[in-house]
Amino acid sequence: MRATIPSLALPGNSPWRDSAARGREGTRWPARLAIWHARRPWLAATAVLIAVAGFCALVQGPQWRSFLPLATVNLAVSLLFVFTGLMLGREPGQRVTAWALMLAGVFRSIDFIDAWHGPWSAYTLVFGGVDRIFGAWALLRYPNSALSPLYRRYLITFAVWMLTGRTLIAVTSTAQWNAAWSASWWPTLIPDQQLSNLLNYVVHSGEGVGGLVLMALLIIRLKQARGLDRIVITPIIVAGIAAVVAAIASAAMMTLSLADTPNEAYLTESVVDFAIPVAFLIAVLQRLLLIRNVTELTAQVTAGGDLDAVRRALRSVLHDPTLDLLDTSDASLQALGSHSPGRLVSYIRAGHGTPIAVVIADPVLARYRELFDAATAASGLALQNAQLQARMAQEKLEQVKASRARIVEAELAERRRLERDLHDGVQQHLLGITAGLTAAKARTADPEAAAAIGQAGEGLKAVLAQLRDLAHGIHPAILSQGGLDAALEEVAERLPLPVSVHAPPRRFDAAVEATLYFVACEALANVVKHADAESASVTVRDGESTLEMEVADDGIGGLAAAAGNGRASHGLANMADRVGALDGEIVIDSPPGRGTRLVVRVPCA
Amino acid sequence: MRIAIAEDSGLFRSSLALLLRSLGAEVTVSVASGTELLTAVRDNPPDVVMLDIRMPPTFSDEGIRTAQAIRGLHPDTGILVLSTYAETSYASQLLETVRSGVGYLLKDNVTDADALMESLERVAAGETVIDPAIVRRLLGRKRKPSVMDTLNEREVAVLRHMAEGRSNLGIAKELYLSARTVETHVTNVFTKLGLTPSDTENNRVRAVLAFLRSAGPQQ
Repeated sequence: MRATIPSLALPGNSPWRDSAARGREGTRWPARLAIWHARRPWLAATAVLIAVAGFCALVQGPQWRSFLPLATVNLAVSLLFVFTGLMLGREPGQRVTAWALMLAGVFRSIDFIDAWHGPWSAYTLVFGGVDRIFGAWALLRYPNSALSPLYRRYLITFAVWMLTGRTLIAVTSTAQWNAAWSASWWPTLIPDQQLSNLLNYVVHSGEGVGGLVLMALLIIRLKQARGLDRIVITPIIVAGIAAVVAAIASAAMMTLSLADTPNEAYLTESVVDFAIPVAFLIAVLQRLLLIRNVTELTAQVTAGGDLDAVRRALRSVLHDPTLDLLDTSDASLQALGSHSPGRLVSYIRAGHGTPIAVVIADPVLARYRELFDAATAASGLALQNAQLQARMAQEKLEQVKASRARIVEAELAERRRLERDLHDGVQQHLLGITAGLTAAKARTADPEAAAAIGQAGEGLKAVLAQLRDLAHGIHPAILSQGGLDAALEEVAERLPLPVSVHAPPRRFDAAVEATLYFVACEALANVVKHADAESASVTVRDGESTLEMEVADDGIGGLAAAAGNGRASHGLANMADRVGALDGEIVIDSPPGRGTRLVVRVPCA
Repeated sequence: MRIAIAEDSGLFRSSLALLLRSLGAEVTVSVASGTELLTAVRDNPPDVVMLDIRMPPTFSDEGIRTAQAIRGLHPDTGILVLSTYAETSYASQLLETVRSGVGYLLKDNVTDADALMESLERVAAGETVIDPAIVRRLLGRKRKPSVMDTLNEREVAVLRHMAEGRSNLGIAKELYLSARTVETHVTNVFTKLGLTPSDTENNRVRAVLAFLRSAGPQQ
């Protein structure tokens, strides 16, 4: 379906506009014009403008001689109206407004057909205000795609008043009374000058009131407009008000005979009328400029677009402070979507895939769909970009975590190997030598030799004890052989205060056991050194996905009264490092005077 | 006395065999693992088996598991487990499963030939022997209040010697008391620990176990 109006300066076709343009128009002639228009837009526009120029020049005919400035200004205003209408016709939903503008432009020139005299004077009296009806229509409609019932009632009332009233004036008067050339044809039915004058006064006053009402309506429109709407319609409303003021002033000048000739009043009014098409052109350009802003948005948010940054950028570009942008992973999203009646809800998708975010915006933005679509598409790119960056960061983090875990594993393995080497190698050899010495001592009859051998044996025993302590420090054999519960028991036994140990009698991952054992030793050493405690406890709880160990004491608390010196905090940092390597956490609760409670949680499979 | 040795460290094993022979014992078997020991003593059980607690293939508690197997096959053979570590958990694990004629000795104490022979003789005679170093550690440990606290100083001393595997007579000699007095203390210990005084031999083991448990992993 190519029979739609492609955008003039906008990238791509919005499907939304396609559907709006489809169906209604079929092959009616405006649509055919539109097709022609679509294929050669500039040629078509130029042809239309030449035709309108010719027609408008023709209808003003004799005026070119009698009052050239007015004829020229009228022609220029008409052409500008039509040109603006042609431009506006490319905007979605603005076809009717565009036609209203173009008709207002054409009828503006037709108003001056009375220069030809003959029957045309009567035409101008009756239909001379039609251009204003079309103009008011355009002013009240833009940029909406339909008139509100209030505006429609206003326009109908105004049109009926004007046409009926003026017809009544015409049928109750003659050409002379209306300052028309006396030879003109006039549809006089009941010539009654008094009645005609009264009607003239009433009808034109009514038209003046209609103008004031239009001003009021326009001011209210401006006050109620939000966001983009406000930006776009402000020049139009201002121009509209100026034109109404000019029209009323012109009418007043003629009625009160303030101007030298009626034509001068018309000229002033016509010059002011320039403001309306110019304002519409500004609005059209404004929309194009707003779309250009989307490019800025893209530049802004692709740099580092987290959800908040993209939301801020969207709010600023779309001039909608109420706009919200939500992650689709948000569980409350469905609720939000359905609890936003009357709001514009649009999903941002990654490519053609699943939605990654949702925009909830002022429904006014539906009228700026290509702008909205371009902005949300840019946001989609930014968000995807951010997601990719986040994923990369996450992967990097995982790598670091994995390498940290590997370092811990390697260190643990190395410690175990060292301990085993000491135990199975040096220690057993020394024990063998000790046994050999004992055998030698048993076999010798020489008491001095026996004493020397005994001394050597005792020395060896001391060496063995030192060696055992060394091996234990490197890695306690009881931990690999007996598990965490046995190892913690053994630690408790060595301490000078009662320590109750509660641990499940099962084995855990070697790195987990080693880490918890290390933390318990550190924590209990701190209890002994700083806590001034009566007793302590170590409790290991085996959870579903985490293993928790609590080391508690009944000492002075306050982190053992801020054991303050560097060593304690160094120990704490060391613990945190080890636990962190297992992706676990340490929580310390140490209220002054109420003991210290250290809880370690590590994930376990 | 006929002794079988299972010990994976070759130097210690040969030195131990040399020492035992020097002390007049006969070393019938000298092997490097628990499974080899089981095969070697199947048809010809010795008076005592001496075995290392940490041996191949897993280097964890093979000694204890081998001890259980041997007790099942040869109830009369004494078992003396050697360890490099003074771990109470191993000691209680061993005594829980092999209730009498069993000992847990630290390897360091092979420097004392007399103590070694005494331990071998006691396990061969069906007594229980625990290394004095472990007993010292158990007694030295600060505990939360328990039934052990109801024992007076003299009774604790008697229980300690009982844990080391001494008979009433032996305890009497150590503490310079009369056998009758020791017997009274032993009965008091049993009563305080809630043991019926009838089954004297089993009670000795139970008392020792209660003693170990009061220090071992808490349930």
